[in-house]
Amino acid sequence: MNTLDKSSNKIDYKGEGFKTKNLFNVIYVEEAAFKYPITKEVLDKYCNLQVITIRHYKDVFNRTNQHFQIQKQYQSLILAVKDKPFLYEGPQVCQNFGYPNFYYTSFLLNCIFDCGYCYLQGMYNSANIVAFVNVEDFKNSIEQESLKKPVFLAVSYDTDLIGFYNIIPYIDYFYGFFKMHPALTVEIRTKSGNQSFYKTHTALDNIVIAFTLSPQEIIEKYEKNTPPLKTRIKAIKTALDQGFKVRICLDPVFINPVADHLYEPFYEYVFSEINANKILDLSFGFFRMSKEFFKRIKKQSEYSDLFLDEYCLNENVISYPKEYQNNIMTRHYQILTNYMKKEKIFSL
Amino acid sequence: MVFIVTALMIEAAPIIEYYSLKKDMSVKAFQVYKNSDMVLIISGVGKIKSAMAVVHLLSIYNKGSKMDGSDVYSNDILVNIGLCGAGDSNYDIGRLLIINKVTDMDTGRDYYPDVFCGKNLPSVSLCCYSRPIKSKDMKVFCDMESAGIMEATKKFFYAHQVLILKVISDYLAPEKLDKKFLKSLIENNITLIDNTLREVKYLNEKFKKFSLNEEESKFVEKIVKNLKFTDMMKQIIVKDIVNAKKKGTDVLNVLGFSLESKVNSKLEGKKIFEHIRQKLK
Repeated sequence: MNTLDKSSNKIDYKGEGFKTKNLFNVIYVEEAAFKYPITKEVLDKYCNLQVITIRHYKDVFNRTNQHFQIQKQYQSLILAVKDKPFLYEGPQVCQNFGYPNFYYTSFLLNCIFDCGYCYLQGMYNSANIVAFVNVEDFKNSIEQESLKKPVFLAVSYDTDLIGFYNIIPYIDYFYGFFKMHPALTVEIRTKSGNQSFYKTHTALDNIVIAFTLSPQEIIEKYEKNTPPLKTRIKAIKTALDQGFKVRICLDPVFINPVADHLYEPFYEYVFSEINANKILDLSFGFFRMSKEFFKRIKKQSEYSDLFLDEYCLNENVISYPKEYQNNIMTRHYQILTNYMKKEKIFSL
Repeated sequence: MVFIVTALMIEAAPIIEYYSLKKDMSVKAFQVYKNSDMVLIISGVGKIKSAMAVVHLLSIYNKGSKMDGSDVYSNDILVNIGLCGAGDSNYDIGRLLIINKVTDMDTGRDYYPDVFCGKNLPSVSLCCYSRPIKSKDMKVFCDMESAGIMEATKKFFYAHQVLILKVISDYLAPEKLDKKFLKSLIENNITLIDNTLREVKYLNEKFKKFSLNEEESKFVEKIVKNLKFTDMMKQIIVKDIVNAKKKGTDVLNVLGFSLESKVNSKLEGKKIFEHIRQKLK
């Protein structure tokens, strides 16, 4: 909030004075997006925010001279109409959980959370959030693919749909569609503690809520704006109580002398709170990133100290040396298999 | 450094006075005024002149800001301050505006500065024309320089470092204005302009690129000369030093040995270069 002293016209520029109270700095709206109901709902909800009309979201989102970290503090929302393609093949660096037809889709580009290790910092020029408003086009495209073969669809990879639920409830818009297409298995990955969706919708057999969990110390250090571990556990319990299928994602796992000591008590805590038998499966992955994204992040003026560590390059992916990974994974598996069968643990 | 571009002397005069800027007699192509942390250039009217002025300013005053070899002047800001016409009479003459979108009316191209400061100012879109606009039917704000500023700065500044501030001078009837009145429009807003500049400067400072201090910069220059490093080797060393600093390494202490080293050939320099890189890991 601006602390404008009207008598002197002076602004407290050294305090948090100029930081806006709103969730978004401004809302950019594509000319073509105005006619969609989601646009109207968002503009009604945030009627106090400045609206700037744009021709195409890429005119704003793809500008080359954006400062990712400052924009993250003053995120803007861009409402846009997505063109084809609506579905992408699942990337090699992600688990497919045994599904041969693995796809992902992005209703949103970017995330409201601010994780220091996130590849999105290197993937996009902008920290602003693009929200696509033409949900029917997404449905048509997903339907065409899922009628041909059973599909595993990750809908919350480059973002957090449940974290964004109070802004645009995409999963509400798609719930009926997912219900009508049982051959489509949908994974909604989240770090959010928001329980509204689980409380207001009946669980479906083909929806999996995948909660990303980390030790509280890692959350505090690297997962800015995300809810604490306890809140996530609470959300997991609610989802399970409501009959939702729940996946636990231990991803990314870090290897360093400090982090190494955090995981054992973390696993103990998680499985003392959650009945492991009720969990669908567990995914496990070490910190990894494509070489290009890693390089782009290191060119920015600010980045997490994680990017100063030494890593290995293997098939264009930067991560820990394989021997470290094997040693640490063996140790982690020893603990995790106390709670879960090995067949239910997926790793890359 | 704060770079200010105005089209006319009547727009510049209140700023020159407020910040006690002195004319830089060494610059001939444009009128330039400066103090220790601000430079103002009077570009003349039109987007090509404003673009030329930006590039001219940067070529003269910003040598050495880019120690890391990037194309962005991350520690500076550039502000275009001037008058604009308004087709929208919802705002009074003399109102200071902050611009969130610039449209070049010749090319149809849009530019978007990231506006994170000046939240107490009305934030509007601006159309940049090549000649004065007199039609009263157009519900737009217009000027003649902003597109040139946006085009010229996008290679050198982040989107939040460029600020377009305009004061409404007329409702698209520019012929009725006198110089004294126009000057007073900027004068009356000078405190608001100053506050906004302070906000942007503070934000920029807060997110300033982690770089070398003066002592470290001198150190780098010395070893680059003594060890016959190429420009590329210098950039790599600077990057390594910045990373080492982020990890908390006392760089000058660790690299003290290299100050005494001297080489006779580039090959010898290369060996020490690798040794320095190892030490910084």
